Amino acid sequence: MEKLKQQFGVRATDSLFECGFYSRDMAPVPSLLVDPLFNTRPDIVVRPVDAVETAGILKTAFADNIPITPRAGASTVYFNSVPVKGGIVIDLNLIAGIEDIDEAAMTVTVRAGTTWLELEKYLNPLGFALKSFPSSAPAASIGGWFSMMGYGIGSIKYGSLLSQVQSIEVILPTGECRWLTNDTKPPLAWFAASEGTLGIITRLTLEIRRLSSMKHFLLAFTDVGEMRRALESIINAPVVPYNLHFADKRYALAMQSLGFSPSDTASSCTLGIDYEGSRAELDIVQNMIIRLFGDDRTIRLFPEEEARREWTGKFNALRLKRGGPSVLGGEIWLPVKTLPGYLADIKKKADCYGLDLISYGHVVTRERAAVMTLFYTNETRIGSYILDLAMVKKIHDVGYRHGGWPYGVGLWNTPYLGRIFTLPYLNELRLRKQMLDGRGIMNPGKLYRAPFFLNPVSFAVGMGTLAAVRRITGRSGRR
Amino acid sequence: MREIITKPFTGMEDEALICGRCGYCRSACPVYNVVGWESATPRGKIAKAKEIFSQGKQTELSAEFVQRMAQCTLCGACAQECSTGIDTRKMWLELRKRIAALGREPKAYKALRDNLQEKKNISNFSNDERLEWAQDLDDPAVLKPRAGAAVGYFVGCVSSFFPQAAQVPLAIAEIFSKAGVDFTSLGGEEWCCGFPLISTGFVDEARQFIRHNVDKIRQLGIHTLVASCPSCYSVWKEDSREALQGYDLEILHTTEYLVRLIKEGRLSLQEIPETVTYHDPCDLGRTSGIYDAPREIIRSIPGVRFVELPHHREQALCCGGGGTLQSVDAALAAKIARLRAGEIRSVGATVVVSACQQCEQMLTAAVREAKMPVRVLDVSQLVLEAMD
Ligand SMILES: Cc1cc2nc3c(=O)[nH]c(=O)nc-3n(C[C@H](O)[C@H](O)[C@H](O)COP(=O)(O)OP(=O)(O)OC[C@H]3O[C@@H](n4cnc5c(N)ncnc54)[C@H](O)[C@@H]3O)c2cc1C
Ligand code: SF4
Ligand code: SF4
Repeated sequence: MEKLKQQFGVRATDSLFECGFYSRDMAPVPSLLVDPLFNTRPDIVVRPVDAVETAGILKTAFADNIPITPRAGASTVYFNSVPVKGGIVIDLNLIAGIEDIDEAAMTVTVRAGTTWLELEKYLNPLGFALKSFPSSAPAASIGGWFSMMGYGIGSIKYGSLLSQVQSIEVILPTGECRWLTNDTKPPLAWFAASEGTLGIITRLTLEIRRLSSMKHFLLAFTDVGEMRRALESIINAPVVPYNLHFADKRYALAMQSLGFSPSDTASSCTLGIDYEGSRAELDIVQNMIIRLFGDDRTIRLFPEEEARREWTGKFNALRLKRGGPSVLGGEIWLPVKTLPGYLADIKKKADCYGLDLISYGHVVTRERAAVMTLFYTNETRIGSYILDLAMVKKIHDVGYRHGGWPYGVGLWNTPYLGRIFTLPYLNELRLRKQMLDGRGIMNPGKLYRAPFFLNPVSFAVGMGTLAAVRRITGRSGRR
Repeated sequence: MREIITKPFTGMEDEALICGRCGYCRSACPVYNVVGWESATPRGKIAKAKEIFSQGKQTELSAEFVQRMAQCTLCGACAQECSTGIDTRKMWLELRKRIAALGREPKAYKALRDNLQEKKNISNFSNDERLEWAQDLDDPAVLKPRAGAAVGYFVGCVSSFFPQAAQVPLAIAEIFSKAGVDFTSLGGEEWCCGFPLISTGFVDEARQFIRHNVDKIRQLGIHTLVASCPSCYSVWKEDSREALQGYDLEILHTTEYLVRLIKEGRLSLQEIPETVTYHDPCDLGRTSGIYDAPREIIRSIPGVRFVELPHHREQALCCGGGGTLQSVDAALAAKIARLRAGEIRSVGATVVVSACQQCEQMLTAAVREAKMPVRVLDVSQLVLEAMD
C-alpha cells in the first residue's frame, strides 16, 4: 500500500475521510446491517490514468494478495463496486476519453471510464450515434455497463452491448495487458457481465450507427392485458422500435402527483414507443401505429409532444424518489408474456402488505423486459426500514413465479444465484474465475457464491421472519 | 426572457434523503473534475450531509467536510443535471449556513464577514471611496447620488474597488451618458449587496446589507435599478423581495438594459471584425435565467462572427470564480478557469465576452497564463468599442 501511495502521489489516498466515500454505492443499506459483516471501507483508493498504471496496481495487488474493487460511475445498487473485504479500490474515472472513430467499420474506440452520455454527445455532432445505452447514461461508464448486463435503451433493436463490442483491452489480475476479441482465449464475452471479477477493462471498440431522425408515441391503456397485446403487436411488427418502455398505473399516479406526468395518464398504464430510422421508415411506423391503435376507444394515443417529453425524461426515472424520500425495490429480468400476471400478483402483494408498489421497465429483447418494482420508505426510521427490506425479497419471489430473476448480482443478489444461473452455467463461471483469478483478488465476495450470512436458506428464513413481523405489526418505513 | 428551472426545495434534511446517489451531477461539477475524489462530488457531499443532518451524526462534521463544502463555486451545474430535481445550489447555501451556525466555517469566511461588517464592502478600502473609479470619467459628478433619476446603477464591490475591474463601470457610465440615460448611483451609500455573506452562510448578517441598500433606493425614489454584477443582480432579484415589498422597482442586469437601448435605437454600433464567443456567468445564466440578452447584444454588432463555446447556456462551465472559492482555495479556482480557457482556445475566438467582472478576471488570468491571443471583455466594453 505504501508503495502505491508513493507511486501515485496525489492520485492515491488512504485517508479515512476519503475512503469512507467509496464504501457505498446507490443502495442505502444501514451501517447497522453492513458494518458487522463486511469491510466496505477500502484501505486505499487509487486513480490511475491509463492501462499501464492500472497494470502496475494489479501487479502489486497480485504479488501481495490484496483485494481489488474496480469502480467507475458507481451507479449500481448491489454493492457491485463496493469492497466487502477492504483492500484497493481502483477509481477508473480518469481513464476516459474517445480515441478513434473508424467510419468505414462504423466503430468507436473509447476509454472505459467515459460516460455513455459523453460518448453520445461526442458522436452526434459528427453524424453518428450509439446503438444502445443505459438509462443511467449521464453517470454510467462504458466499462461499467459492459461489466454489468448491458441492456437498456436501444437494446431491443440493436441487441445487448456484448453483441456490439468488437474488442476490449483488459488488464488481467496478474497485471498482464491483453486485447481480446471473440476469437481470443479467453474471449471478450467472458468479461461481459463479469462485474469486475476477472480483470479491469481499460478500452473498448464498439459499433455505432448513423444518427437518424426519431418518432415518439405514448399510449395509455386501462387494462394491463390490453397493454401486453399492444406490446406484442409492436414487438412483432416489421419495423423494430428503438425503445419500448412501460409503466403501471401506480407509476403514472406517482409521477402525476409529483407534477412530472400529464394528469390524464393517472388512471392508466402507459407505453412509450420510440423509433429511429429513415424518414420512409418513420412514415411507415406512423401509419402502423394509427392503424393498430387509432380506432380503439379503450386506448389513448397522446399528442407527439407528450411522447417526446417522455423520451426527453428517459434518464430521470429517479425523479420518483421525490415522493419518498427513500425507495426500495427489485429489478427483474422478466418474460414479456408474463408481464400482466406479474403485475397482477404484485398488486396482490401490495394489498397483502399494505404497500404501494410501483412498476415500470423497458422491453430489451423480443422476449424479455427489465422491470423495476419499487415502493416508498424512509431510511431514517431504521427499525421499520429493516422490516421493509424484507419486501424486496417478496418482489423477487413474485418475479420468480413468473419466470423472472434479478437483473445483476453484485453482493446483495447472491442469495438468488440459483435462480439467476443454471448450476452448469454457474460452474462454468466459477471455472473461468479459477482460470483467470485463482487467487481471488478481483472484486471478491461478489457474483459466484453467497457469503455465509446471505446463503439462500438463512436469507429466506431471515427475510421471511422480518416480513411476518412487518405484517403482524403493520410497521413500514413510510408510515 | 428569463428561463430558470424552478425546483421545489423541501428542506435540506429531506432533499439529502431524496438524493439517489446516481452521480449525474458528478460529471458536470467543475470542482470534481479538478479534484477528482468522490468526496468532492455533489453526491458525496450530500451523502455526508445526510449522515450529519438527516441522520443526526454530528460527529461526522469534520474539518475535511467543511473544506469540501467550501470548495464549491455555487455554479449550479449540479442542480441542472440532478435526476431527482434537487436544487443543489440551494442545498450548498443551506449547508454553509448550518456550518456557520455551528461556528465551524472556514477562517477565511469569518475574516470576510468581519471585514464586511466593518467596511461595508469586500475590500480594505473605506466605503466612501466607492466612486474612486469614476475619476476617470469626463464628468465624474454624473454618478453623484441624485433623487428622482430614471435609472440607479448598482456598481458592486468588485467593480468599485478593484482597478482591474474598473473598466466595466467606466464603460457602462460612458454608454449611459452617450445614450442620454438619466442615471445615478448610491455613491458611498452603496453597501455590499450581501451575496458574499449569503454564500458563506451568514444569511442573517446579509439582511442588514440588503435592507440598507433598499432603503437608499427608496430614499432616492429610484424605480429602475441596473446591476452589472450577476451576483448583485440575483440578490436584488431574489433575496431582496421581502425588503422591497410595496415598492415598485424594476431590476435589470446591464445586458437586459443594453438590449433595451439597442432596440430603442439609442446606441449606434459600428463594425467590429472579430470572432467573438460568450462565456455565460453562472449567476446570470443558471441562477437568473438570462442567456439571450448578452447574445442579442453581441449579434447586433456588425462584423462580429459569433461562436458558441462547447459548453454554453444551461450547460456552461464555471470560470472558477464563484462561491467565494478564491478566498479558501485560489489554486483550485485557477485550475477550473484553465478548463474554460481550453474551451475558448478550441473555438478559435479572438475575443471572449462575458457579463460578470469576476468571470472576466478569472478568464483574463487563465488566457494570459496559457499565452492565448485572446482579449477578455465585458459585454459593455464590447458595446463601447462598437460605439467609438
Ligand atoms: C437511473 C438509473 C438507470 C439505470 N438504467 C440501467 C439500464 O438501463 N441498464 C442497465 O443495465 N443498468 C442500468 N442502471 C444500473 C447501472 O447504472 C448500470 O449498470 C451502469 O452501466 C453501471 O456503470 P458504472 O460506470 O456506474 O459502473 P459501476 O457501478 O462503477 O460498476 C459496476 C460493476 O462493474 C465493475 N466495473 C466498472 N468498470 C469496470 C471496468 N472498466 N473494468 C472492469 N470492471 C468494471 C465494478 O466493479 C462493478 O462490479 C441504472 C442505474 C440508474 C441509477
Ligand atoms: S455548484 Fe458547481 S462547483 Fe458546487 S457542487 Fe455544484 S457543480 Fe460543483
Ligand atoms: S444527480 Fe441529484 S440525485 Fe443524483 S447523485 Fe447528484 S444530487 Fe443526488
